[in-house]
Amino acid sequence: MKTDLSHAVQRFQETFLSFEIDSIKTQAQKLLDAGITIQGFLSACMPCMEEIGRKFEAGEYYLPQLVVAGEMFKTASREIRSVLTEENSGRPLDQIVLGTPAGDIHDLGKDIFAVLAEASGFKIHNLGVDVKPETFVKKLKETGASVLGLSSLLTTTFESICNIVDLLSEEGLRKQTFVIIGGGVTEKSLIEKLFVDAQTRDAYEGINLIRNYIRTGKKEPVV
Amino acid sequence: MKKKGPKIFPMDIMTAQERFDSVVRLEEPDRVPLSLMLYYFAPLYAKVPMSRYMTDRNFYLRVMQRVWKDLGPWDLYYNVNPVSRLVYSFAMMMRVLWPGKELPEDDIAKVEELAYMSHEDYDWVMRTTERFSDMFFRLAMLPRFCEEAEGMGMVRVFGKVFLDFIRQLFSWRKEFLWWRSQGAAVQIGYQAEMPFDTFSQARNVINFSMDLLQRAEKIGQASTHMAGSFADLSIFLSKLFGVPTVQCYCHRSSNSFISPEQFKSLALPGMEIITRRIAEAGMTPILHCDGDWMKNLSFMRQRLPAKKIIIQLDGLTDIFKAKEEIGDHFCLFGDVPAAMLVMGSEVEVEEYCHRLIEEVGKGGGFILAGGCEIPPNARPENLKAMVRAVQKYGYYSKQQPSMSAA
Repeated sequence: MKTDLSHAVQRFQETFLSFEIDSIKTQAQKLLDAGITIQGFLSACMPCMEEIGRKFEAGEYYLPQLVVAGEMFKTASREIRSVLTEENSGRPLDQIVLGTPAGDIHDLGKDIFAVLAEASGFKIHNLGVDVKPETFVKKLKETGASVLGLSSLLTTTFESICNIVDLLSEEGLRKQTFVIIGGGVTEKSLIEKLFVDAQTRDAYEGINLIRNYIRTGKKEPVV
Repeated sequence: MKKKGPKIFPMDIMTAQERFDSVVRLEEPDRVPLSLMLYYFAPLYAKVPMSRYMTDRNFYLRVMQRVWKDLGPWDLYYNVNPVSRLVYSFAMMMRVLWPGKELPEDDIAKVEELAYMSHEDYDWVMRTTERFSDMFFRLAMLPRFCEEAEGMGMVRVFGKVFLDFIRQLFSWRKEFLWWRSQGAAVQIGYQAEMPFDTFSQARNVINFSMDLLQRAEKIGQASTHMAGSFADLSIFLSKLFGVPTVQCYCHRSSNSFISPEQFKSLALPGMEIITRRIAEAGMTPILHCDGDWMKNLSFMRQRLPAKKIIIQLDGLTDIFKAKEEIGDHFCLFGDVPAAMLVMGSEVEVEEYCHRLIEEVGKGGGFILAGGCEIPPNARPENLKAMVRAVQKYGYYSKQQPSMSAA
């Protein structure tokens, strides 16, 4: 039985890393047949995502590979979760509240990040687009998440980001919340100007910055 | 002899149009030209309703005249004001949400990523007559995502688009007269999303990413198939509007989306056909290069014509490195970052403009501008800082009196 499972995991990972999206559902079914748990499934996905991330950082892979990897994870995850319940999943690495602040309705980059972060073991609370500051704060309180990801493709979100940070302070949540902004219009200089903790323009760098915060508990931005 | 238009600044030797033509040829003009690509900024600055600004032509012109009077002058008028959503959709091929319709009165228009094309449509494109394939594609797809063309056949869509272009012609001709009377040159004759990038938007990023892994060859073939027709339509409409430039949007060809190899094999062949044909017609292609283009630049240098093309950069490509790599081949345009224009100080903006003028403007071939469009919530003082920077630092001739010396 154990051999079957390790063989199924190996085949699943090979399929994943060769971007055979049409076969991923079948391979996920084989994982279920071999007795995988949700935690086991996430553990099988993580090295694949790390490998794809390494190649992306090295300039060998580009956005299409990230997007397709995200789609494969979503397909396999749906298949697994249609049978298994979350109770089997063990404790997720950490929780991230995510959204596009009020003033912007772009969701593409945010959604790519959400899937990749989930496949990397995070629990994601994706609030969508044009989100009000109060909604972010409410979700942080409700979930106890320590990371807030804000996506921005328009400068019209800057005022909202300031309002979110102010509200976090008012509610006494600022110190324990790692606030990271991302998106085409953001740049490192905004860390100081918008009073956030980190900035990124690519999903994998964002995941690494969050991991670094969780590991060290330090908010110093890695520039 | 044709009468020259008025000067932008008293110290200028050239007109704005002469200055523009000179930098495209990579020559050193009297001064670095300035383009303030502002559209959504104006109604926010003037505190007037966005929906009226976008639909009432006379009102639009009055608002722009106020911005010009308060913050200007600058060299190039950025004319992206469509007479209708149908015209906008025909050019950009994205579903757009409009203030006063789907959005509140004062919101800026927003594009929505909608997958309206199937992968079988690449084959359909290949079956269309090459001469009209770009236009056929646009007319066939519009009913799938644009409310104004909903339920219509290609002939009816053509009729409606044609009539709106006639309205655009009359509207623009009238506006252009005013801008030219102020000494500004008009930046854009025709503008549209390039074929490769149109497919990316039409399929949406997820489907297009899968296409790139599963049927890349078809994307390349269909993009190249449509290129000649794209160029011909651009040339025709630019002539009609009386401005010999074509602004070609390539929002999805940067390395922020695709690899340099994918760019070289799939997007560049079409880009080469388009830019060469437009240049051969005596016009200037302006490539609007959002995203990080660094790894594409050497391929562009090898394949695209020299001293004929403007490359607009939005701050995500390192414009200083781009100057070293392609500055002797293309005119560069940009790139004061949007974030700096909104959150930065006047001093920061002026210093950055100074650096751009000194380094990217060295020897000519440079137009100072914001990175992409001026953000709607840019600080007005920062736009004034850009205007001031070309006056203080932008003159090439040592003999030329400068503002600081005056």
